[in-house]
Amino acid sequence: MPHTTSSNIASMIDHTELHIDARYGDLVRTCLEAIRFGFASVAVHPVHVARCAKLLAGTPIVVDAAIGFHTGGFTIDNKAFEAQDALANGAGEIDFVMNVAALKAADYDYVSREMEALRSATEGHVLKVILETCLLTDPEKVKACELAVKASIDFVKTSTGFSTGGATIDDVRLMKSVVNDAALVKASGGIRNAQHAQQMVEAGASRLGTSAGVKIVEQLLGAARS
Amino acid sequence: MDWTTKSFAATIKTGILGTDVTESVVREAIARVKPYPISAYAVDMPFLPLAKELFSGSGVLITAAVGYPLGGMTLATKLDQIRFALAHGFDEINPSLSFSAIKSRDADELKHELEAMKDLVAAKIDIIVIPQYHILTNEEKLWITELILESGITGVKTNGHGGICLPEDITLIKRAFGDDVSLEASGGIRKLDDAIHLLELGASFIHSTSGCDMIVELDSRS
Repeated sequence: MPHTTSSNIASMIDHTELHIDARYGDLVRTCLEAIRFGFASVAVHPVHVARCAKLLAGTPIVVDAAIGFHTGGFTIDNKAFEAQDALANGAGEIDFVMNVAALKAADYDYVSREMEALRSATEGHVLKVILETCLLTDPEKVKACELAVKASIDFVKTSTGFSTGGATIDDVRLMKSVVNDAALVKASGGIRNAQHAQQMVEAGASRLGTSAGVKIVEQLLGAARS
Repeated sequence: MDWTTKSFAATIKTGILGTDVTESVVREAIARVKPYPISAYAVDMPFLPLAKELFSGSGVLITAAVGYPLGGMTLATKLDQIRFALAHGFDEINPSLSFSAIKSRDADELKHELEAMKDLVAAKIDIIVIPQYHILTNEEKLWITELILESGITGVKTNGHGGICLPEDITLIKRAFGDDVSLEASGGIRKLDDAIHLLELGASFIHSTSGCDMIVELDSRS
């Protein structure tokens, strides 16, 4: 079972600020919290990438840009453009929403072309594909993971947090069983406390997308003190 | 005003947008609404050419949702989407503005965004921007609407994904800006009588995924 101390959980957290009404000050707070707690990244909309990259300069924390967010209903070319634009603005990692409709229509050629285009556009950077598992059947989740591995994508990620549901333990376990060591799993959406975060890690998640990172780490620190 | 099926349908903008909406679902939805003389129909970017083909010769405008729905894309990405819409012959665009810029009162950023979109479109197609009134205070609603109108854009769609269009928002904006603004009421409008109420308060258009159902209901009343 993985060790889930406060510091190693913190290093797995993509500290997320994707609220539609986030003010610039909220982005500053998010970056300062990431530095203070040693999170892996701050996950933001592309429009905030340059601002956050400047705030995080000189730290090991990277900016994680949300691409095709949140419906994934954009062309392959546009998602690739958006990813490259985010990297040019200072993003270190890219999380893109796959074309879920194409997967559900069994248009695997389209899904593969999209994954390969994003892989090519982000060469040398960590790339995560968001499956939006709440909309998928188990066979569709398995297929998406297989295609992601084939496209050499670094992470398969459960959810945007904007659809009908977030990460579940069963989904993380299933995704991990498919990708095995060929890719990592990011659990995201609805992870609100330390216990839930620990369960996700135990199920196979290597990264956690959450806006509750501060609360999670403080709960773990409190538990360690008591 | 006595609404006929034809006069009411002319105010209706509808569409089918969503993460798991497949081509067959788009085809079925368009087949259902096609008999009625609606104003416009919106689909996700990959389905825009299909929608254009299915509505060919109908006079229905095809709408491209830009930066939808969260508005968090960079201006460069939104302009890339608008270029796609222009290249494929679409008739109007619904750009989501940078809502963070609105909440942060960043007038320079918003003016830059509005002017760049207007310059790129160069009056070839209509621009109806989404300020998401449902996340704004009344003061913010008036402030952003004034900025939009100052840019020369006159079309405003009240809300995108997740918002509820309030009758008092239509009254507020129409009282403040009168006929300078063309308002598309959008967000949570499901009932025919609610839609008619919003039109009578001054909305020029109703955007609703229930648009077809409302037309059918009005048709059945006559």
